[in-house]
Amino acid sequence: MSSPDTITASDRDHSGNWAVRQLTVADLRCWDRLTLQLNPGLVVVSGPNGAGKTSLVEAICYGMVGVSPRTTREADAIRVGRQAFHVELHVDGPHGRQVREMGYQPGLGRRMRIDEVPQRSVGLWRASGSILVFLPEELRAVKGPPAARRRAIDRILEGTDPTFAATAAAYTAAVTQRNAMLKRIKGQVAGVAGLTPWDHAVAEHGAAVATARSTMILDLQPRFARWMEELGGGPGGTLAWEPSPADLGEMAPDRFHEHLEARLAANRTRDIQAAQTLSGPHRDDVWIGIGDQDLRRTGSQGEQRTAVLALLLACRELLSEHGVTPILLLDDVLSELDPGRRRRLLDALVGQGQSWITSADPDAADLAAASGATHYLHVEDGHVAATP
Amino acid sequence: MAAILPSSVERLVAELAKLPGLGPRSAQRLAFHVMKAPPERAHALAEALVEVKDKLRPCSECFGFAEEELCPICADPRRDMTVLCAVEEPSAIIPIERTNEFRGRYHVLGGALSPIDGIDPEDLRLDELLERIARHGVTELVIATNPTMQGEATALFLADMVRDRVRVTRLASGLPVGADLEHADELTLGRALLGRRPI
Ligand SMILES: [Zn+2]
Repeated sequence: MSSPDTITASDRDHSGNWAVRQLTVADLRCWDRLTLQLNPGLVVVSGPNGAGKTSLVEAICYGMVGVSPRTTREADAIRVGRQAFHVELHVDGPHGRQVREMGYQPGLGRRMRIDEVPQRSVGLWRASGSILVFLPEELRAVKGPPAARRRAIDRILEGTDPTFAATAAAYTAAVTQRNAMLKRIKGQVAGVAGLTPWDHAVAEHGAAVATARSTMILDLQPRFARWMEELGGGPGGTLAWEPSPADLGEMAPDRFHEHLEARLAANRTRDIQAAQTLSGPHRDDVWIGIGDQDLRRTGSQGEQRTAVLALLLACRELLSEHGVTPILLLDDVLSELDPGRRRRLLDALVGQGQSWITSADPDAADLAAASGATHYLHVEDGHVAATP
Repeated sequence: MAAILPSSVERLVAELAKLPGLGPRSAQRLAFHVMKAPPERAHALAEALVEVKDKLRPCSECFGFAEEELCPICADPRRDMTVLCAVEEPSAIIPIERTNEFRGRYHVLGGALSPIDGIDPEDLRLDELLERIARHGVTELVIATNPTMQGEATALFLADMVRDRVRVTRLASGLPVGADLEHADELTLGRALLGRRPI
């Protein structure tokens, strides 16, 4: 339908920050074929609704983490009338340049390759903390179940602490073993004495998870509060750890292990009845609010959107301070911000790393020029008009 | 599809492919090797396979590999009876012996605690361990379960069980976490033995 639109990219960036340097999509949503050459910096994508702006964001998600925030059914993303979609990204990152490919075909499933080497496990494929995405679906980080908020925090921990993924996996394994033991005790297959080592394992790994999360949320809190204010969410923006059990929040991390173990021992009867571990970091939540208003439950759509955006920007700052700026993908966030706030947001994004903003506003071109965007891409009728 | 190979070869390949770490391709390579070897080599291999199954049995003391009532270690009067080393499987005895740092005897537990796999304390040889501790006046139990979550849980359970009877020690850290003792190198394992600590 269209010929590839090409922009010449300069030499690679050696900062170690994540940046898409070449994007190729085939048969994804409304896109037939498209190849873009890109530089780090701010990429503004404009165009009318339905023109395929969000699909470019989705393509980057598929390429970087193998999943789309828009759908869990890959078949939905295949262009109508086609057999399969394919995404290929040439990406700069902390490990140098990589060619990351993902394809999907019903019946054959997903295929992922890094530098032509097939990746069997999505876990290996994922580059945690490499992207931060703002799409309507990401509102679940505020108004969704506690698991969505735990996931949002854990993703940043995986990006800043190379041991966190293993710690979290060990905790999950310990809870799984303890739950199996509880079930066996309830079913009178095994004795209660067998629970002690699993109380210990859950407490040990749970204390490590709790320590990491509480520290991360403390680090994010002031940044979140500042971004809430800058984006017009008002003063008093608060992120706070809501641990399970709740009294962990009142003590220093060096007491977590001992306290968790004592609580597990005290809750044995209750846990055996339920045949599962009813408290622990797998039940953590994160309070997101303004002053004493709980935005998770009582926030308006606009307030919740602002909170998600402020959280993403806080996470981006933190990952940057750890040395690697993630790719920020913001779909349609400008329309709700007044000119001053737009300017503050764009100013923060031109500096380092790579950020993508989509906008249906007619004045997006002026905004891109005024903010010093690296690329301005206008999307219409299945092709891209680009300004380097 | 018709079989490409004669049925006797197919059978050998199928049996070899059941061995751990062997895929169909490497099984086929081994089978071809056996086919080309002189008859006495193939007979020797077959006899060795049968003999090991016929003769081998668990040692009545430690449950390690034995051909007699006792394994060579339990039959050796120079080995210290008052120090026992608890391991998950007989295969873990080999790397510990190779370090030449341990002069006591072993006790094979027969696995590690793992509720999701249905392995409870009753499934391990714990009564036998307590009985040996009492009978031989054991003074120290060295716990050498694997440095995995299941191995650690087993170590803790064992330690709690015998703490008031004997000194309980655990191999010092430094072993690769999540791996089996079988795969630890001798130097690291030797250091871990010498640096064992009370738990
Ligand atoms: Zn023996």
